[in-house]
Amino acid sequence: MNDALIILENLSIGYNGQPVLSGISLSIARDSFTAILGANGSGKSTLIKTLLGLLSPLAGRIDTNQSSTGAPLVFGYVPQAGQFDPIYLLTGFEVALMGTYGRVRPGHFIPSAERAFTRECLRAAGAQEFAREQFSELSGGQKQRVLIARALATRPDVLVLDEPTAGVDAEATHTVLEFISRTRMERQIAVLLVTHDFAAIRHHARQILWLHHGKVLQGAPDELLTPERMAEIFEIGIS
Amino acid sequence: MMASLSHILSPDFLLRNSVYTSVLIGFSCPLVGVFLVMRRLVFMGVALPQVSSTGVAIALSVPLWLGVKLSGHPSESAHMLAFIGSMTFSLLAILALAFMERRGRGQPEGRLGTAYVVAASLSILVLSKNPYGELGWLDMLKGEVITISDFDLVLTAATLTLVLATLGLFHKELLLISFDRPMAITLRKNVVFWDVLLYLLIGLTVSMAVLSVGPLIAFGFLLIPALAAHLFARNMRQFTMLASLCGGASAFLGFWIAYQYDLPVGPTDVVLLGVLYAAAWFIAKLLP
Repeated sequence: MNDALIILENLSIGYNGQPVLSGISLSIARDSFTAILGANGSGKSTLIKTLLGLLSPLAGRIDTNQSSTGAPLVFGYVPQAGQFDPIYLLTGFEVALMGTYGRVRPGHFIPSAERAFTRECLRAAGAQEFAREQFSELSGGQKQRVLIARALATRPDVLVLDEPTAGVDAEATHTVLEFISRTRMERQIAVLLVTHDFAAIRHHARQILWLHHGKVLQGAPDELLTPERMAEIFEIGIS
Repeated sequence: MMASLSHILSPDFLLRNSVYTSVLIGFSCPLVGVFLVMRRLVFMGVALPQVSSTGVAIALSVPLWLGVKLSGHPSESAHMLAFIGSMTFSLLAILALAFMERRGRGQPEGRLGTAYVVAASLSILVLSKNPYGELGWLDMLKGEVITISDFDLVLTAATLTLVLATLGLFHKELLLISFDRPMAITLRKNVVFWDVLLYLLIGLTVSMAVLSVGPLIAFGFLLIPALAAHLFARNMRQFTMLASLCGGASAFLGFWIAYQYDLPVGPTDVVLLGVLYAAAWFIAKLLP
């Protein structure tokens, strides 16, 4: 329990009372890097939305430990970059600054220290060059960097990323995953990352959650991402 | 033309309350209109003023239904009654429509269209059976901005000041829940509270605008300045300021033109806003 930030016990998740995944029991440790894999519609996004409190579980429970400061756990959420409405005239900096809103009371101005910290997060995410440009006009990869900076600006205990490399080329994918791995180690935060790209993630993740046919298979990349195990998962033979 | 301008600007001008109220509404409506445009609730900007005006019609008919006599002209008590009716209907409608929007079932345009047409028909039905309807209340619903008392002006100014102060104070929270609701939830913001606050501000502004200038003009000021400003603005501050300036300036200019050429003020304002929007669209297309 001491090392576990999040514990899921016999969790059942889904929409409108219809379960997508059932009987999920697992724990997310501090300083861990967990990749969530699975086909489209397997429940990857449903799982992270439930963890973030955006959806209520259908059954079971989620226990969250306190952060190292004794405060409630802070999630830094990086949603898919394409979901934002371009009608909002916000710069990359203004989007990243939203990460600090959890620490600034309603009706108060954002202190200069928080602005400076946001700039630091943008710099760390390699997004300082385009931070003054319109967020809606940035490329997919640039938006992802701004959103990662925003998540870092929350001072998270857990970084939750929903397909951060979707629509990003192989080189940029490598750079983004390297950055996330480095950030996890430097800031000692847990990382939960949803992806389809198991080839890229196997070098970074310490734990894999593979969602398949309503169940969660878990293990280390070396155990789960072997040709034999993958063939078993997909119920096909190996020639 | 300049003589009529000096008349309007004179402190002794007979219709000065109408000028002040028009300009107040012109400056304020776009500030909440910006949120309607950003949240893609433009049709709500059409339906809501109409529902609000139905609230006025029903509230003003309640004394008649209860057998209580009111004075022939809209008095302060009648105005307060109208304000309560307008506010109640605006809030109930906006909360009901927002709730259905959140559930995500059916067609939002269909719901808003139905709300608009039913509200408009209900207003006509209620007023057709109300002898007071011919004594000024229809004028109020149409937006004849000429009979604004000191009490109306003070009530409008006080309400709009409250709306502007709240919008300014909680701008970052209202922007966050509009731009990225899931992020707001993960930051442990009470999104339902902030949603309700925003709807309350929209409802208050719409109610005041409908009472002062009528549903058609309220719709014009809510949306057209915000749509025009979005063509040129580069950030949220510019967007809000430009929309508000466009609304305020159009309200004053519209009043001036209407006074000069003896036209009804409200429709003049809306046509002027339409012309400005068209001009803004062409200019934006020409710009690199």
